[in-house]
Amino acid sequence: MRASVNRPPTPDADEDDDDGDAHTQHHHHHQQLTLQEIINIKLIESGEKEKLKELLRERLIDCGWRDEMKALCRAFTMKKGRNNVTVDELIHVITPKGRSSVPDAIKAELLQRIRSFLMTAAL
Amino acid sequence: MSMSKEDNNSFHSQLSSHLFSDLLDSLIIDVASECHRVARLGLDRNLEEEEEELRLSAQARVMVADSSSNCETNSKYTTDIFGQTHPAVASEIFECMNCGRSIVAGRFAPHLEKCMGKGRKARMKLTRSSTATQQRQSRGSPNSSYTPYMNSSSNVHYSNSRVSNGTSGMMMDEYQKSSTEPTEGTSEESR
Repeated sequence: MRASVNRPPTPDADEDDDDGDAHTQHHHHHQQLTLQEIINIKLIESGEKEKLKELLRERLIDCGWRDEMKALCRAFTMKKGRNNVTVDELIHVITPKGRSSVPDAIKAELLQRIRSFLMTAAL
Repeated sequence: MSMSKEDNNSFHSQLSSHLFSDLLDSLIIDVASECHRVARLGLDRNLEEEEEELRLSAQARVMVADSSSNCETNSKYTTDIFGQTHPAVASEIFECMNCGRSIVAGRFAPHLEKCMGKGRKARMKLTRSSTATQQRQSRGSPNSSYTPYMNSSSNVHYSNSRVSNGTSGMMMDEYQKSSTEPTEGTSEESR
């Protein structure tokens, strides 16, 4: 695995070296994928990321988290007027509460699944 | 190549937490996006109703602020939250539990005052009860000509003489206004 991370630069990159334009940067960046990024790719490619997201969504609906967030959005929308809200605003409205109000059990369950994925598939 | 076990674990934990946060943020965006869509498309009926209510209550607040200068006119014509107007004098009709007459609600209280308390006939009922009599006798009324069993015309007569014995001019006026129904104060309380 480490060998693949540290593979030698492709010939193309060498040719562009002298140009000094943005193209060069792009090729160099390919070689510097963090471990984190690689794991993320593996997560997505194996379909596990989607499964995890579905699991988390289901749990958060069942425990009422989603309804709470929708209520916050509705309250904000009423104050602002429904034609004056943007997605960004709504995201900012619910993010703090959203991040902090996930029940511990649900968080633990997801973390456990993620960790076991890391053990078996990635490292 | 050798990572210590602790390093490995903490790295795992960090990574797990990071991945979890990614998932959560992604779901937050989904919720926000859907709520945005619902808001813009006007799909939430409840939202529209609440907006309507907000508007009406703001409107009502404005009218209340106005009416602080001219109360009567405005309270006659404002609509409440159910869209009803309330006339200044309530118009429902009730039956008086004392005399059995049909009274308009707006006149009910004054009627009860007369019917149960001040009325000449009502006071006749009062004076007939023994407790009322005892109270009067213990107060030592100086006018010994007063007895509980006088008929109505004598009662009036009695009140007349008491008034002339020196009650204030104002009371005289009051009495003359309601000559058949003298106020309690005139005959019983002036001692």
